[in-house]
Amino acid sequence: MKKRVTLTFPTNIVQMPITYRLAKDFNVAANIIRAQVAPNQVGKLVVELLGDIDEVDAAIEWMRLQEIHVSLASGEINIDEDICVDCGLCTGVCPTQALTLDPETFRLQFRRSRCIVCEQCIPTCPVGAISTNL
Amino acid sequence: MRTIAEINEKISRRQAVAWTVEELKARVKESGVAKAFKQVDVICTGTFEPMESSGAIINLGHTDPPIKIRQCWLDGIPAYAGFGAVDLYLGATAMADYSSSDVLDGNLRQGTERERGGAHVIEDLIAGKPVQLRAIGQMTDCYPRASFENTITKESINQFYLFNPRNLYQNFIVGVNGGDRPLFTYLGPLQPRLANAVYSNPGAISPLLNDPDLQLIGIGTKVFLGGGIGYVAWEGTQHFPLQKRLPNRTPIGPAATVALIADAKQMNPYWVRGCYLHNYGPSLMLGVGVPLPVLQEEVVHHCAIQDKEIVAPVMDFSIPRRVRPTFGLVTYEQLKSGRITIEGKSVRVAPLASIYLSRKVAEELKQWIIAGKFTITEPVATIPQDRSFIAQDRRGSQFTLE
Ligand code: SF4
Ligand code: SF4
Repeated sequence: MKKRVTLTFPTNIVQMPITYRLAKDFNVAANIIRAQVAPNQVGKLVVELLGDIDEVDAAIEWMRLQEIHVSLASGEINIDEDICVDCGLCTGVCPTQALTLDPETFRLQFRRSRCIVCEQCIPTCPVGAISTNL
Repeated sequence: MRTIAEINEKISRRQAVAWTVEELKARVKESGVAKAFKQVDVICTGTFEPMESSGAIINLGHTDPPIKIRQCWLDGIPAYAGFGAVDLYLGATAMADYSSSDVLDGNLRQGTERERGGAHVIEDLIAGKPVQLRAIGQMTDCYPRASFENTITKESINQFYLFNPRNLYQNFIVGVNGGDRPLFTYLGPLQPRLANAVYSNPGAISPLLNDPDLQLIGIGTKVFLGGGIGYVAWEGTQHFPLQKRLPNRTPIGPAATVALIADAKQMNPYWVRGCYLHNYGPSLMLGVGVPLPVLQEEVVHHCAIQDKEIVAPVMDFSIPRRVRPTFGLVTYEQLKSGRITIEGKSVRVAPLASIYLSRKVAEELKQWIIAGKFTITEPVATIPQDRSFIAQDRRGSQFTLE
């Protein structure tokens, strides 16, 4: 099974080779979607955990014991209206039509309720107007 | 019949009637070409889209002792220096070149992100931001200096103007991917198995589609460029007026282009935006507005063209050849509806040009004309209409309509 989680590390264990431990001890592959890790700072990592359901749960349990905060909710998408040029390019890759162009004004519309935070729109935006609150 | 002199006289008295090209289209629909012709003096067109064949000429001013720059980097992005001693050309798509990092110390490219290109540096300079300059000179008796480092702003340099070899493509293509892996293109990401399509021309509001045979636009035509005033300098590179055309004279694919020039110091970063197409590279999004003087009724007739009367070819990017296979032609009305049908399959389609900002460019130009701030010019020479397209380029735009 596949599970997307957001990990928040306290400053003291940012250095831990977490993906290595998950693979070796739990046979869980961790595909890093987004990372924000710097020495001596709280680190954040969005990963997709791939493995047997029991092992994924055991891995999450183990991470919590290491004082890593594990959140099953992934981030939210934010669109900076001052940066967005309403080109519409992101609307072509959004799988849920959370992003659409208004047929009259051709301005970008974002319906958050439809967004599954797949993040495909983020690298697509040519002016970097889309981010997650990670 | 009207003359440009008469129109300019009205503009200076603030009595000129200027409409955006969309207002014109609506009026013609309502009351016909003849009536619209009587009312309007100038029709304002605009576009806002990535125009990668763009760049800036910069003259730094001389150093003491002087330097003849042979290699130069602005915020780590290489600028061309193979001409006058302190003349530079910063291309919109230039990227940090790591290959020459051994020439200078490693700090050079600190803070240079891969997604930043010449276009972003141009945007920053226009916005008044400081930019790091590093230069290497060829030591001669006239120019003894070997290297130079400084921080520049648009205030601390002599000339700073955009000189764009190819802008305002008269029509373009629609990109799709018929292969089985994602492609990252100059039209943005194209997902495999025809999962999406991208078009990049704003269609019936686009400047050159409203003057299909370039009877009004020529060398010397004054335009809105990036929020400042610019001019058509020459025919654009890859100018291909002989592209096949529909009976309404609009081309069925990429055709005419123009080279534009304008003082960047007057520009506004709102209309000049560095952009980055994922896994393709940087480009420059630019707002360009072109006024079309209503000299005779034929002008109104051409400008009345609708999205449903203009077509673009759907090209398959999964075959990386100069002449790509096409899935036929679609109209801009279909494109703007957000879905097109390719081989019986409904495909979502997104623009890359901002239609919202294209309209805003036309509106801004209209306000300038109404306020008497922008007069129009008579071209000093026409743009050739007989250029064929010589194949050698990496981006084909010749295809047949079979
Ligand atoms: S994250 Fe995915 S679903 Fe949400 S807006 Fe972006 S592309 Fe659409
Ligand atoms: S791709 Fe970026 S700039 Fe274009 S509409 Fe989407 S958010 Fe706005």
